[in-house]
Amino acid sequence: MARPVGIIGTGQTKHGKRMDVCYPELVREAVMTVFAETGIDPGDIDGVVSGTMPSMMEGIALTHFYFADAMQASGKQILKTETCGSTGVSIAHTAYYWVASGMADLVLAVGHEKMNEGDSQATMTTVAEPFYQRFFIAGAPGVFSMQSQMWTDRYGIPEDKLRDAAAYISVTHHNSAFDNPYAHIKIRVTMDDVKNARIITYPVRLLDVCPNSDGACAVIFASDKMIRKLGKKAAWVKGVGYSGEEYYFGDSDKAVWQAAIQAAKQAYKQAGIRNPRKELDVAEVYNPFTYQEMLFYECFGFCDFGQAPDLVLKGTFGRKGELPCDPSGGTLCTNPIGATGLIRTAEAALQVMGKAGDHQVPGAKLALAHAMGGVDQFNGIIILGSEK
Amino acid sequence: MTKEYKTIKTELRLPYELAYGATWTRFFEGMQEKKIYGTKCPKCGKVLVPARSFCPKCFVDTDKWVEVSQEGKLTAWSYTNYRYFGQPVDPPFIGALIRLDGTDVDLLHLVGGIDLKNFDEVKRTIKNGMKVKAVWSDERKGHILDIRYFEPV
Amino acid sequence: MANKVAIVGVAQNAGCESKDNYYDQAYQVTRELLDKTGLKKDDIGTFISASSDIFHGGISCANAYYWETTGAFLKNGSRQDGESLFALFYGAMRIMSGHYDTALVIALCKGSENPSNESCTLMYADPFYQRGVGLNETLAAALQMKLYMKKSRITAEQCAKVAVKNLGNALGNPYAHRRGRYSVEDVLKSELVADPLTELQVAPKSEGIVAMLLASEEKAKKITKKPVWIKGFGSSLDSYILGDRDLLNGQLRNAANRAYKMARITDPGKQIDLAEISEPYAFQELLWMEDLGLCSPGGGGKMIDSGKTEKNGALPINPSGGVLANNPYVSRGLQRAVEAVLQMRGEAGERQVEKRVKTALAHGTHGFAGQCHAVAVLGR
Repeated sequence: MARPVGIIGTGQTKHGKRMDVCYPELVREAVMTVFAETGIDPGDIDGVVSGTMPSMMEGIALTHFYFADAMQASGKQILKTETCGSTGVSIAHTAYYWVASGMADLVLAVGHEKMNEGDSQATMTTVAEPFYQRFFIAGAPGVFSMQSQMWTDRYGIPEDKLRDAAAYISVTHHNSAFDNPYAHIKIRVTMDDVKNARIITYPVRLLDVCPNSDGACAVIFASDKMIRKLGKKAAWVKGVGYSGEEYYFGDSDKAVWQAAIQAAKQAYKQAGIRNPRKELDVAEVYNPFTYQEMLFYECFGFCDFGQAPDLVLKGTFGRKGELPCDPSGGTLCTNPIGATGLIRTAEAALQVMGKAGDHQVPGAKLALAHAMGGVDQFNGIIILGSEK
Repeated sequence: MTKEYKTIKTELRLPYELAYGATWTRFFEGMQEKKIYGTKCPKCGKVLVPARSFCPKCFVDTDKWVEVSQEGKLTAWSYTNYRYFGQPVDPPFIGALIRLDGTDVDLLHLVGGIDLKNFDEVKRTIKNGMKVKAVWSDERKGHILDIRYFEPV
Repeated sequence: MANKVAIVGVAQNAGCESKDNYYDQAYQVTRELLDKTGLKKDDIGTFISASSDIFHGGISCANAYYWETTGAFLKNGSRQDGESLFALFYGAMRIMSGHYDTALVIALCKGSENPSNESCTLMYADPFYQRGVGLNETLAAALQMKLYMKKSRITAEQCAKVAVKNLGNALGNPYAHRRGRYSVEDVLKSELVADPLTELQVAPKSEGIVAMLLASEEKAKKITKKPVWIKGFGSSLDSYILGDRDLLNGQLRNAANRAYKMARITDPGKQIDLAEISEPYAFQELLWMEDLGLCSPGGGGKMIDSGKTEKNGALPINPSGGVLANNPYVSRGLQRAVEAVLQMRGEAGERQVEKRVKTALAHGTHGFAGQCHAVAVLGR
């Protein structure tokens, strides 16, 4: 079977509106950080995986060309992985398989986005089906709001409770972002602020939505043999899962969302996880929208369907809860999309390596990272553990 | 103090021309005649709207055209209240998933025919499960907006 | 390679401009591949596609569009951007990891719906410096060609001969987009595109949906009697700014050496029986042959003059007509591999070469003047 693979280091930029650097410089900042942190010589890297959102986001196509030097990838083997919003986790999967297949011992994975240089919602609308659907999908929020509305209605969740739970999530993550040196949005908000914020796409309000961020993330994956040789601590890959469904929004049920359920199942099976809420110590769920985050808890088996708002309000998924979710502040506070899934992976790695600093979940040994993409289509998961 | 650096302002425009193919050509010809067509999967028996040449789940060719009802029930909706560059429909609008009677998937379209300015009123009026029907445009061009929107029955 | 991976089936669509939509075309090619290999959609372990948003009809996040049309509904998969040979490598890696015993690899590009290749590749250029002066792949190639002609004393006629050979070979290829019997003079007198490149030396903008089924050794034996084994693969990326690079000493040697090492090829000119090389610009077939070690450095011109690279020569290069005959930008690397497989299986129809092909090479390139290269060595 697959060779054991571990993450030995991560590098993130300071995420935010970064008009102080051009795009390649932003990428270089993350790459230099991971090399400095691990002490790895860039010359020893066997292969580089890079990825981003669509070309339209920044108006530059096939960015692996543009970033060849910033990633120190000149003369290297290269793979370029892109799967829309789930890109970051897909990059991690590519790096994982490259090492697991025996074809490389050290792989640098880089995800990047500079969203403030483009128009993210105009870009997202070009993802939608051009003959039938593009006219009705208001960027990403439109689709995800409809999904949230479908879920709320299915389980008869009262609006007051729903808004309380969403506001609770928003307040928790905005507070957590202060403990994460790389996070973008650092503002203190109250429950009332969130509940009374302007409607973007009902039921989603301004403080239920992630920002447009500039940021990059670099992660080094290594083989068992290399990790032993280097004498390094690692976050071991315990399971990977990915699942996708149809392009036509409307073909599949999005409340009991099979792509999310199946992706988690694949990863749990490999990792030998039966009861995720008990066995996982921390989860970095891709949460660009507060409402959708609750839906993911249910699809990933953290609780039963329709139960998430109650548990959120009980603090089950808070920083000191049974299964802390997004102690980094998550996607809600930082979203450079092409990097985001890899940031979730990096954050999960930091947790199980005990290197998460002020947002460390004490004693975390098993962590889940997740990303979602397409027209509500794709979910990717990677599970990391402190033990091989 | 952070120093402000220069930026370049640029806009991308690229021309594309996309083929409808046989199935979608027929679907949109139907729209011009105020008809909504679906296709039926021979394996699972599901009626897919808009018409598809194959069933995405069973991965076999669809073999039967069916004209479907212009009325259906609301599955989910969202009130859009923000603007962005190139937005095809001006906000506010209601994007919605609609299950047309006799079909097995949801059609994405607009809900209209009500005052959209007042959101509280919208919330009182628009409910999942409510009946809606297609309102056609007088001038039809074989475009998805030949149906202006679906209005509450 | 530790765990053997085989190509057990291939399918492609005709490169001419059809009126069918992209969504249906992708379904038809996938369906053909499944029918040929006798597998059902649910038998496939994992799906790796190749496509690029810029070459995707103005629809972003390309894989969102075609996920279910390629049979991947509720399956594990991923996508490679830019060049489809990479998707082949990734599919092979997934099998080598032991997680899957089959992988469907598919490349998608419908050139007829896209802007010109020049408009698209202009989008590779950085917006501050190179884009402002109009750098695209054709301009980069023209500059590279001038350098090559001067340094290696390659003549315009020798470059034109590549187009004559490949467009002639394409007469036997039903999947080709452009084909014909041309003279060297026809090629040189065709419209000037970017000096010294003339129209017949520049690849067209074509359609190509190209699919391949990969399988583990054990599984391959159950699916086909004629597996083609992936013996080695390698890639390499060059620096970005055109002026920083040595355009005549690029990364192809690096990519090829990696593939050769894995495949235990020590004398490619002797051990490789046939090569399908991506030559979006005619002269590049000569330059790439040199870099691949299929002839001596600087010997590209002599090689084409000798007739060795003709369809029935000692070392046939692009018997399919190559990229000059069919250029579905993203799909062209995987299409080279598909053509190599057909030759090895003796299923290449009118374009089948006379010699027996035991070991073949497939090459893909993209980026300015070959900024990035990928090489696969396939064997029976």
